[in-house]
Amino acid sequence: MAADAISLSIPHTEPFHGVARLVVGGLAARLDLSYEHLEDLQLAVLTVLDRHGYVTAPDVTVRLLVEPGLVGIAVGPVDVDVVRAELEREREDGVSLRRLLETVVHSVSLEERDGGHWLRLDKRVLAGSAEPVGEEA
Amino acid sequence: MREAGARTDRDLLRRYHERGDLEARERLIEQYLPLVRSLARRYANRGEQLEDLVQVGCIGLIKAIDRFDVDRGVELTTYATPNVIGEIKRHFRDKGWSVRVPRGLQELNVRLSQLLEQLTIQLERSPTIAELAKAAGVDEEDVLEALESGQAYTTVSLSAPAGQGEDSDLDPLESLGELEHEYEVSEDRAILAPGLRALDERERRIIHLRFWEGLTQSQIAQQVGISQMHVSRLIRRSLEKVREEIATGGNVS
Repeated sequence: MAADAISLSIPHTEPFHGVARLVVGGLAARLDLSYEHLEDLQLAVLTVLDRHGYVTAPDVTVRLLVEPGLVGIAVGPVDVDVVRAELEREREDGVSLRRLLETVVHSVSLEERDGGHWLRLDKRVLAGSAEPVGEEA
Repeated sequence: MREAGARTDRDLLRRYHERGDLEARERLIEQYLPLVRSLARRYANRGEQLEDLVQVGCIGLIKAIDRFDVDRGVELTTYATPNVIGEIKRHFRDKGWSVRVPRGLQELNVRLSQLLEQLTIQLERSPTIAELAKAAGVDEEDVLEALESGQAYTTVSLSAPAGQGEDSDLDPLESLGELEHEYEVSEDRAILAPGLRALDERERRIIHLRFWEGLTQSQIAQQVGISQMHVSRLIRRSLEKVREEIATGGNVS
């Protein structure tokens, strides 16, 4: 089954990050996700968008992929060296990227696509939420 | 009657200020809680839940008690009232809520915050947007807009430097002994992380519970005794503070 996907390209400036948050909210409502899952997904997206140095291009794309029981988020293009270093960083000055993301999503990975690197985040959304729209029982 | 009350207050204040009697301080706080509640009620329709404002007001009360000059011929009520109101006003000013968000959205946000608590208990899980919309009698889009507006007010006060000024004082509520039963701050390694020094005790506790203990927002809300939406705002605000602290090199000793 092919995944449904929403692709949003926005200028990589803070006022537009709220647009990404709203789109995530709209998707969460469409999928009948719980408030807590919505919060988790929004925090994941905003963390990647807001943290300095992860996205270096003037525009950034947020892809939301819907599969049965799972919402995937891909943000890119990202500076793969910076993000990889952050993900592998052992010493924590605050809340490390890995700790933060792994609290709110189930898997964090880097993938190469469309000539660039993307940070891919997957969250399982079955427990505590209604079934995603269109999923068969 | 009032005079007798004032004498008792003065006695308690002396016990606290002159002998360091913390029990006297707690009694004063308890006695003046109705005052804080009545003052907080005046501001309760402006986008924050009453209980959250009572907590903010308590900070003003505690500051008033701690700073009160016993030898001055002023009653504690007279001194505490502007302190409590000042703390609540500062809270609103810092959030920038009242000037940035239309009143209708503020009110819906407050209603949603209450409904979120109720539905979480009723359903024994986090409600969906549709369930929140139905309970509030509005469209799902309205819910999303109101939730978004609630986030809009979290980013205003973050430029305040950490470790300076009144607002960076350790949260005096902590010293009431209500919040810290199971949490030994000093023993937690996470607290040693330099960026986290930008946070006050309550923020650190919430961040610890969320990202080290893995508690959900609603579980944290229950433990800390504030609303789930307030937890959400505090998490975002705290992460922002930590980020700024690290970015500005505040962690470099």
